[in-house]
Amino acid sequence: MAVTVYIPAPFRKLTGNRSYVEGHGQTVAELLDELKTRYPALGDMLQNEAGELPAHIHIYVNNQEIYSLQGKATPLNDGDEVAVIPAIAGGQVLTPDQMLRYSRQIMIPQVGSAGQRKLLDARVLIVGAGGLGSPAAVYLAAAGVGTLGIVDSDELELSNLQRQILHHTADVGRPKVESAQETIARYNPDVRVITHRVRLTSANAMEIIAQYDMVVGAVDSFATRYLLNDASYLAGKPYIDGGVFLFEGQATVFIPGQGCYRCLFPEPPPAGMVPNPSQVGLLGVLPGVIGVIEAFEALKLILSLGESLSGRLLIFDALTMEFRQVKTRRDPRCPLCGDAPTIHELSDYEASPSSSLAGHD
Amino acid sequence: MFTIDKHYIDEMIAHARDEAPIECCGVLGGRDERVLKLYQATNAEHSRYRYNIDSQELFRINRECEENGWQFLGIYHSHPDGEAYPSPTDVERAGWPESLYLIVSLLSPGNPEVRAFRIQDGEVTEETIEIA
Repeated sequence: MAVTVYIPAPFRKLTGNRSYVEGHGQTVAELLDELKTRYPALGDMLQNEAGELPAHIHIYVNNQEIYSLQGKATPLNDGDEVAVIPAIAGGQVLTPDQMLRYSRQIMIPQVGSAGQRKLLDARVLIVGAGGLGSPAAVYLAAAGVGTLGIVDSDELELSNLQRQILHHTADVGRPKVESAQETIARYNPDVRVITHRVRLTSANAMEIIAQYDMVVGAVDSFATRYLLNDASYLAGKPYIDGGVFLFEGQATVFIPGQGCYRCLFPEPPPAGMVPNPSQVGLLGVLPGVIGVIEAFEALKLILSLGESLSGRLLIFDALTMEFRQVKTRRDPRCPLCGDAPTIHELSDYEASPSSSLAGHD
Repeated sequence: MFTIDKHYIDEMIAHARDEAPIECCGVLGGRDERVLKLYQATNAEHSRYRYNIDSQELFRINRECEENGWQFLGIYHSHPDGEAYPSPTDVERAGWPESLYLIVSLLSPGNPEVRAFRIQDGEVTEETIEIA
């Protein structure tokens, strides 16, 4: 097949100043080999040491980048126009301070400086700056997750301090998102905190969640949990869920398409079935454990590390110090993520009560 | 010495601010050392630490410049949290030696800085920007 190859300005010194050269081959790979025989210097630009196309070179067949076609196996026809254009790309490296600050995790082979850049680039929404959200936010911030969104509409109360380690005694009466932002800034100035001093509702959830890569649920009401579940699924974002009750905690991860909270519990429990969370006693260390597990799951998702809790519900019993697991799976009859879903948008969640059972705080 | 109309500088800074905290990127097309059009491009990496002009956009920008007989006089990107100087990765990936690389720094948000560099064979040379 005879094709025309467009040569852009930076490569013309390699083709005797010609903007177009003729080339031959059944596929892009054959064409590149053939070009190399006639223009060795150009061939060197289009192949790395492993003989592969370097990442910083784009190749187009009839105006389409070949990775949207069949890559180097893309077939060529007589008269096709092929273009080779160097990428316009670059990037910053970690600063010496960042290399030192994160050195204990950068030395993990599966993390490295590439993983650290992923963390700094990641955007995690934490819904709730309370008992679960506090430890989650502290560890995500310390690890250098670059953007943390914090949703909470409450002001800090003295009784919160027994477990909500994002806040300090002097903060009582202040909006929790403000004290959370200050605490995180003191831990790690690399982290940009976006405060959302609102109650999450069906009117604002999609817009807020859209700005993040994933959602960490750290809430104490069923209404908000169903809202988060539905909104995360509809937005196509992983949802990390945690909850605590007395001496027991739970954590899991819902990845869109692999099951959701409604696959486990299709509807919220009826009003009055569950106690008001603020009336149930709790040692602060319990949401500490579960919030830290949620943070770990977020880091694993960002770094593509190990196996997430997707498909498993982790149950922690603090009195026996036992972790159990229950397998979960997508329910084809799920009203949200099943085969014939009936939920296509967010609805009114406030009809269901503020409650606990599967979790709160 | 690189001469450029002030509104292009303003436009690059505005683009950097719009895209912050991620890096923005784009191309200055023109002829005879005169910038005639600024192309804002999509950063396909959507990253605070990486930029890479979307490959289909790059193709369209390059074709339009070719059709007009223009060159890529400048290639710009932003450093939302860093100084206006090419990073080692910027130097390593600089594939357009005849173009000037402009960097917009938002390190001090009220006082954005734009500097221009020639990057050839791994060597960085600063060029003075003259605002026309």
